[in-house]
Amino acid sequence: MPKVMIPPPYRGPTHGAAEVRVDAATVRECLNAVEAEHPGFGELVFSANGELQRFVKLFRNGEPVAKDGLDFPLAEGDEIEVVAAIGGG
Amino acid sequence: MSDNGDRLIRVDMTQQTVSIEPFPSAWKLLGGRALSARILLEECDATCDPLGPDNVLVLAPGTLAGTAAPTSGRISVGAKSPLTNGIKEANSGGNPGQDLNKLGYRVVIVTGQPTDPDKRWGLSVSADEVKLVSADDLKGKWNYACCEELTKIYSSKASFITIGPAGELRLKGASVACTDQDSRHPARHAARGGLGAVMGSKGLKYVAVDPGKSRARKAADAKGFAQLCKKHTRDYQEGPQMFKHGTSSVVPVAQMLNTFPTRNRVSGQSPHAESLDGKRIVESFETRGGGMHNCLTGCVVKCSNIVHDAEGNYKTSALEFETITLLGANCDIGDMDDVADLDRLCDELGLDTIEMGAAIGVYMDAGEMEFGDAEGAKRLLKEIAEGSELGKTIGNGAAAVGKRTKHHRVPVVRGQAIPAWDPRPLKATGVTYATSAMGADHTAGLIVNPGLPEDQWAQASQESQLINAVCDSSGFCQFMTPTLDDIRTFIGYFLGEEITREQIADLGWQILQDEWEFNRRAGHTEADDVLPACMKEDPIGPAKVVFDVKPELIAQAKVRMKPREELFATKATG
Repeated sequence: MPKVMIPPPYRGPTHGAAEVRVDAATVRECLNAVEAEHPGFGELVFSANGELQRFVKLFRNGEPVAKDGLDFPLAEGDEIEVVAAIGGG
Repeated sequence: MSDNGDRLIRVDMTQQTVSIEPFPSAWKLLGGRALSARILLEECDATCDPLGPDNVLVLAPGTLAGTAAPTSGRISVGAKSPLTNGIKEANSGGNPGQDLNKLGYRVVIVTGQPTDPDKRWGLSVSADEVKLVSADDLKGKWNYACCEELTKIYSSKASFITIGPAGELRLKGASVACTDQDSRHPARHAARGGLGAVMGSKGLKYVAVDPGKSRARKAADAKGFAQLCKKHTRDYQEGPQMFKHGTSSVVPVAQMLNTFPTRNRVSGQSPHAESLDGKRIVESFETRGGGMHNCLTGCVVKCSNIVHDAEGNYKTSALEFETITLLGANCDIGDMDDVADLDRLCDELGLDTIEMGAAIGVYMDAGEMEFGDAEGAKRLLKEIAEGSELGKTIGNGAAAVGKRTKHHRVPVVRGQAIPAWDPRPLKATGVTYATSAMGADHTAGLIVNPGLPEDQWAQASQESQLINAVCDSSGFCQFMTPTLDDIRTFIGYFLGEEITREQIADLGWQILQDEWEFNRRAGHTEADDVLPACMKEDPIGPAKVVFDVKPELIAQAKVRMKPREELFATKATG
């Protein structure tokens, strides 16, 4: 099962869980599966029209996922890392 | 004593004398915040009047400033704070930190006070000499005009540290400005805690640092250090670069997490989140000009935006998340141009944008001005320069405004305004605000993790405080997000000796202990380790959360915990 790494700012819906394993075939399915399991996560990652929020970046096994790469097929054991910007200035 | 030629500068403002001393070898690991804390603990009477002759003003570049380490040239300003009546360190980008360390000056220690409060002085630092010069002709100058005059006097390479009228008026919200590396605008600020007032109380209007032909400081293990610099630069550039468009891009995240404080923090979400989104600034680059740049030489993060007005003229830099939140959403001001005007005014007068946004928010909440009155807010800031009684109150910060208006909702800790990141949804961050010697300061230990279990709040806060203390001592910008392992490796190559995990963790803990000890001597007690009533009583967000962390849990953050493996791999965040 692919593993989704949750960034600290988005761990409210996951109740602190840093990673979630889901049964999914693509990056998008992965993130939707996390939403199904942890309601509230999806809106942090996707905008209302279903596009990736522009302040979120995704990495698959350490490599950046392109904006059009959400339907990229995943292999068993793939890791999807969600990265979100946090900082004050 | 130092065996590498490093020196320190002592400036006695009572006698107007300058002396140069070798930099003690015992301090070799200390820079920035760590050095400031040690000097203040050893040389400053913690019970002194912060605006009197016995306070000590410390200007300390980070340990790695002036080297080729990427994004590592920040400078710490330290003193007893007139705002918190405790120890304070605020740090800034720009080039003064780089330039001082390139010249081999690891710290400037300013003591005493001129007998004539109307006199102004400048400290001129170059490879040839360090001297005090008269700066009476710059008295009352706003920061931009002051720096423009200084560029006529000093070489094109010189960087400047200045105060504006707020510092000269010794107001508790006054900042210390540092100049950008390219434009030499006074747009970077060691803003928090009223350190500009301390500089003003010493009659010091500016410090000019001319690096001349000095080069980057050489590491003892030059080859290893160069390889490390290259690796970290490449890693950063190949990484997510989350601050590519500046910290203002954080606005929508904060809005979703109910930590985009609005109308003096009665709400965590603003109806202006769209218009105050940093995306608007990036879009304006196309039509107005401006863009992203690095505030100090050798920075690879380049998070600083340059904001132009509708006519395409330079307005301000950098318009940051905290500024947009406090001067925008918190005052219910939704026009980015208005926020840019307010930011420029704060930079001109030498004021902390967080403290001013909070002060004006309290003033509005108390019914003295309509929320959303941007022109009124600008008038208030201008009154500060005019020295009116109301202006002085605003310039003295949110607590002073609360006292004047007798308003009940005053979001401050140790007298200092709470920054944007709200302690109600982010309870571990609230533990930091309560326990940090700095008062409410997001750079002291920010934990943006709303799902963190209660039993981890104290540990997360302590670890974050320790990591950020080391980061702020190293000269690294927190946006470079270095880990303790990164920092100890850089310093190790620089000094040519291994710095162990134990040493770097001990250094972080020592900084926190030095700061807590200073505050203890200044009269702070555990009773001060609390958040204000409004954070405990006024709920925020759909879950209606308040800051309800028990005092005994808060106290745990000040008792050293055994360092975990994760401590060394956690990134600094602020």
